Amino acid sequence: MIGSTNSRIVVTLARHEYRAAARNRVLAALVLVLVAITTVSVLIGAIDYHSQVADYQRYVAAARSSGVTQTAPLPLQVLSLLRGAFEYLEIIGAIIAIVLGYMSIARERTSNTLMLLQTRPITSMQRALGSALGALAIIATLLLVTGAIAVLCLGVIGGDWLAPPELLKLTLALLATIPYMGAFYCLGVVLTAHARSLSNGLMAALVIWLAVVLIIPQVGDTMDPDNQVPGGLFQSLGVDKPTELKVLAKFTTYEKVRNDLEEASLAKHYERFTFGMTDVKDKYRGFTLTHLLHEKRNDIAWLAAYMLVLGAALHRSYQRQPALPRGGTP
Amino acid sequence: MTNASPLDSAAIELDGLRHRYDMDDVLRGINLSIPRGEVFGFLGHNGSGKTTTVNILTTLIRPTAGSARVCGLDVEREPMRVRQLIGYLPSDIRMYDHMTALENLEFFARLSGVERPRSAALETLDYLDCADLAGKRVGTFSTGMRQRIGIAQAVLHKPVVLFLDEPTAGLDPSGVRHLRETIQRLNSELGVTIFMNTHQLSEVAKVCTSIGVLNHGELIYTDSIENTTARFPDEASLEGIYVRVEAGA
Repeated sequence: MIGSTNSRIVVTLARHEYRAAARNRVLAALVLVLVAITTVSVLIGAIDYHSQVADYQRYVAAARSSGVTQTAPLPLQVLSLLRGAFEYLEIIGAIIAIVLGYMSIARERTSNTLMLLQTRPITSMQRALGSALGALAIIATLLLVTGAIAVLCLGVIGGDWLAPPELLKLTLALLATIPYMGAFYCLGVVLTAHARSLSNGLMAALVIWLAVVLIIPQVGDTMDPDNQVPGGLFQSLGVDKPTELKVLAKFTTYEKVRNDLEEASLAKHYERFTFGMTDVKDKYRGFTLTHLLHEKRNDIAWLAAYMLVLGAALHRSYQRQPALPRGGTP
Repeated sequence: MTNASPLDSAAIELDGLRHRYDMDDVLRGINLSIPRGEVFGFLGHNGSGKTTTVNILTTLIRPTAGSARVCGLDVEREPMRVRQLIGYLPSDIRMYDHMTALENLEFFARLSGVERPRSAALETLDYLDCADLAGKRVGTFSTGMRQRIGIAQAVLHKPVVLFLDEPTAGLDPSGVRHLRETIQRLNSELGVTIFMNTHQLSEVAKVCTSIGVLNHGELIYTDSIENTTARFPDEASLEGIYVRVEAGA
């Protein structure tokens, strides 16, 4: 009985959060921008893919007609066309999540309804869970729409409907977006709840977003010599793999610092996981799903850890949230 | 845990209640007992500590020292049980502007654990003679309309004690009269104990059965309206009595 009452209250709060977010114009505009640029990105990729497949088919036909029996495989991976979509989710998706978190706190403060909530027989845990579930439902809806558009564009325009294993990999990549955006949602809630003013909280969250999503991964990328030349520095110099490893062995501290910088960024783990799942990285092509998940277990663990730590901070914020405005009249 | 049943105890009991904001003693050891069924008017000048007392009784803030009980339940130890028994109308009541009155009430009814939230919301609107507001968005409401929906959210779960913080603020004369009638009906028909912070002495004289006067965080006077008027026979209005009580503090 108590359990069902608890879950009823959590569902009520989650539905309330979902509806309020769905009716917010700023959020709707951000979601629209994300969906639009994601669609354009996949669309352009699909058109390009379609023409490259046609070229490949012409090459195969020409090779066969000239008596060649063995032809090179199609050098394209259809899922890798979604690279742009996942990059947009990484950048704009994180902003949407922060705004969701900010609005969750700002709505109750500005509408003066916080006191009404805090005088109801509901716990801070129920409020935190309800709010988080509502936000996650918004994120899941967004991902469902993005995923559906991607699949349709690839099928209709690119002429390549995803096979079940590819669909599964796409689903896993989209699922990884939930803890990623969820962590930024928690960040938005925590900083807005603790800041002296609502706008200060939002600004602080956006500064962290800037560091985590744009600056730190970029610094890590720039420090990687392999990223400075197309195809890789060593390959372009004609250095073979054993020699490359010998050279790199002299820069272990440098490499560790560079890798640690990247590891500190939640965005980098998300990128590594989704790029692995969508065949963006050559080295993972041909991996079985189990093997791929095993390779990516570190990134999964980091995503889960960020989400859990920030989720705990979110609960703490609801526990300590003052019912009365700071400096309010006694 | 207290042994007293919520049904037997006094509606409100304050025992040496103190509260301090930073270095400022807002409440300086208040002792007060309000029996069930009263309409209690809590009077005092701005900053005297009235709202702080209500905030403690509604579990929004914790007292620095002393205790506060609602229907025998300690507000610090059993806040969840206290919240089940109380209704609260803050001053400057606002609700979710993007939602209709009915949606707002249904939402708060669900959070209060009401079994049939939609029916409860409709019944409450009907009881308070504002069923016509059900489908309208709260964002379009006047102060008076907001106040009526505010009272509806405070009573839809049938609380035992209702806290009203400056309920007449911003209301026009007809709004004040409507509020007075509502308070009287809730008290006489449903037996709700009402604790009201207010500056409107004329309203206190019309609806309250007892009063308390707070001055700089100290309760300097408390008695029934009947005894109060008998004690000051030469004063024609409660305003005159209030001035004399404050002057004698």
